[in-house]
Amino acid sequence: MELTKNITLGVYLPGETVIHRLDPRTKIIIASVLIILLLMIKSYPAYAVILTFLSAVIFMSGIPLSYALCGLKPMLPVLILMWVFQLFLYSNPDSKVIFSFWIFTATDSGMHMGNLISLRVIFLFTVTTILTLTTSMVSLTDGLESLLNPLRKFGLPIQELVMTMVIALRFVLILAEELDKIVKAQMARGVAFDRGNFIQKTKKLFPVFLPLFINAFKRAEELIVAMEARSYTGGKGRTKMKTLQMSRVDLGAGFVMLIFSAIVVLLIITIKPQI
Amino acid sequence: MDKFIEVINLTYSYRPGNGNEVKALNGINMKVFKGEFLAVTGQNGSGKSTLARHFNGLLKPRSGNVLVGGFSILDKNRLAEIRKMIGMVFQNPDNQLVSSIVEEDVAFGPENLGLPPETIRSRVGWALETLNIENLRRESPNNLSEGQKQLVAIAGVLAMKPECIVLDEPTTHLDPRSRRELLEIIIRLNREEGITIILLTHFMKEVVFCDRMIVMDLGEIKISGTPHEVFEKTTEIVRLGLDFPVATQLAAGLRGKGLKLPGNIITTEELIAQLCLLK
Amino acid sequence: MPIEIKNLCHSYKKGTPFEKKVLHNVDLIINDGEFVGLIGSTQSGKTTLAQHFNALIIPQNGKVIINGCNTADKNAELIKLRQNVGYVFQNPDYQLFASTVGEDIAFGPKNQKLSPGEVNSRVLEAMEQVGLDYNTFYERDIFALSGGQKRRVAIAGVLACHPQILILDDVTAGLDPKGREEILTVIRKLHFEYMITIIFISNSMDEVARLVERIVVLDQGNIIIDGATRDIFNQAARLGDIGLELPEVMDITTKLRNKGFNLPQAVINIDEAIESISADLLERQVGD
Repeated sequence: MELTKNITLGVYLPGETVIHRLDPRTKIIIASVLIILLLMIKSYPAYAVILTFLSAVIFMSGIPLSYALCGLKPMLPVLILMWVFQLFLYSNPDSKVIFSFWIFTATDSGMHMGNLISLRVIFLFTVTTILTLTTSMVSLTDGLESLLNPLRKFGLPIQELVMTMVIALRFVLILAEELDKIVKAQMARGVAFDRGNFIQKTKKLFPVFLPLFINAFKRAEELIVAMEARSYTGGKGRTKMKTLQMSRVDLGAGFVMLIFSAIVVLLIITIKPQI
Repeated sequence: MDKFIEVINLTYSYRPGNGNEVKALNGINMKVFKGEFLAVTGQNGSGKSTLARHFNGLLKPRSGNVLVGGFSILDKNRLAEIRKMIGMVFQNPDNQLVSSIVEEDVAFGPENLGLPPETIRSRVGWALETLNIENLRRESPNNLSEGQKQLVAIAGVLAMKPECIVLDEPTTHLDPRSRRELLEIIIRLNREEGITIILLTHFMKEVVFCDRMIVMDLGEIKISGTPHEVFEKTTEIVRLGLDFPVATQLAAGLRGKGLKLPGNIITTEELIAQLCLLK
Repeated sequence: MPIEIKNLCHSYKKGTPFEKKVLHNVDLIINDGEFVGLIGSTQSGKTTLAQHFNALIIPQNGKVIINGCNTADKNAELIKLRQNVGYVFQNPDYQLFASTVGEDIAFGPKNQKLSPGEVNSRVLEAMEQVGLDYNTFYERDIFALSGGQKRRVAIAGVLACHPQILILDDVTAGLDPKGREEILTVIRKLHFEYMITIIFISNSMDEVARLVERIVVLDQGNIIIDGATRDIFNQAARLGDIGLELPEVMDITTKLRNKGFNLPQAVINIDEAIESISADLLERQVGD
């Protein structure tokens, strides 16, 4: 059992491809535009266009497809459940019944709704995974900080928020590995995590999450002391070693994205939604 | 030698005021001199860490005071300056690294000092070079061994160009080899870079290289002096639950066998030299 | 309850771009009643190998047979097996979760669905085995314990499951000298008094030399040396090559030998060193 194996969110896969070299701000903006588009799309053809785009990006970034998608595996049960819910519960006035039994009725609009929502989740997940796989956490947060910086005028603690994120992301893997060890330590004392009913299973998580939380708090406490000892007093008066620089590649990427978004928006307007 | 840190009648307790107050430090008086290598030893819970956390004002005394370079740690306006002078390395390297890239982590301290980007870059380069870990520059700490992570933590402190580095049991999570390598680096920083070192440890192997050591127990300083002086106080060391260096143990055993060895042997080299005289 | 490992391979994060081979074709047999030290530098694969011993990891390739039962077998009773082969982790904080010592030690026996009376007698027995007084410690808050005491509670928590084999994964790390001695004394007692087969994982040659009867040395996922403790230390040069530090006493006696002292090859503890050095020097004085 390796809990950390299938975690792809927050993992950085170093490389030298065009996608890797893009300025993080460019990548964040592109990803945000994609996310907005995904939230607006309600038809299959538009998804096909997005699929083409994402496939091209994955190919260019040199990430093995199987790895880019393996993070979806743990989400599969939730996706299927969601799909089934939509199938039976969603319907609109002119939907056709596919089949029905007992009190449940499955309609075609329900099926489309299920499909579209599942696709949306899968694509949203893929977009963020590609972003984090090709951008180190540090440059990601640098980019975010630089983009959000104007908001500081309104008194928002942007630098502090970004620092919190940097740290949270650094500890995701550490805590996942810790969870793995704790689970094994309790398995070694005879806990069968896969047996029993819901309540029994939930009870079994207690000896796992209690040590995990205690350790996490202990780590947090030590980290705060260590940061304070290194003169951290919040964002004020802090400088950065690296300054971000846009290049011609970023300009190109922005241009491609503009055209692509125009196409998708056009499809959203012209094609009648499936639901 | 110049006096660098001065601890005056320092007391500290955890959870003061309620029923289970724990007195951690009880009337500590001591000095640290510029450029020296001081070892602080004692069992877990003897108050070593609590004392060390006063050196740069991470903890505030209940009574008494600590002066660093003449400034009181109680003076809020001087705290930033004090923290710049005194770097700290902690036990668990995982809990002190901030960034997911080595070079960014080393830059964290200098960035906090508000230095210009070029200065930060050159300091980061210098720190990595001094510790011979330039090859790790772009690595993620998650892929490093505990020993390497601890070197990164030291680099992060070194990049702030401190006058003194306090190391709080830095070798606990390391294997014996990395432990020896880390010790060699600490000694080098002291001798070549002139950095004052305060090393908290309960490994006697690490203590024998220091100029001066203090032994703590129950929040008080019980013995202090050069390692040679301290390890001659056999009964007290045993009572305080500490070990002797292997060479010292061996010499004591050999004296028991009737060999004429002096009582102040602490290093392998000393023992071998003395034994060769007997041959 | 012998453990038999045949041609075992293991890769970390198998099937991802981060895949890394940690065990290469390992063959190993551990028999009843042995006191084995599993040693190697960090990341040599010690823990991964050891976690196969009680089916916390199921082999990707090769076989692990414990008491005739193949752990990869679908019908294998892994829960039962893990009771028979106890595993104590390096950091007791991964294991301890109950608020009192007694409650935490009782966790394992309760999982075995024993009667309250039986659970209690198991706790009593385990506390006795690790030298924690029942009346003093049963109700004690776990967070108020010292490092050495916490480790002993963790070991007791595993002993209470009545294992025949006990795997101790770097259990002395981070302890002060006193705490370390406490733990080593307990381990010796468990083996010699309670006849438990012990697999002691460590990266300290000093500790292993003082404790175990047989040593298995791992390097980069391969077993490179396996034999009786003394024989292992006769191959001092090889151990140095793979980055292990020899016991300090051995370092001293080796240096003395180079200076012309007449000492045996493998002097692995202080008493032996005292004996052999004084014998050599006294002989010379008689010779004069």
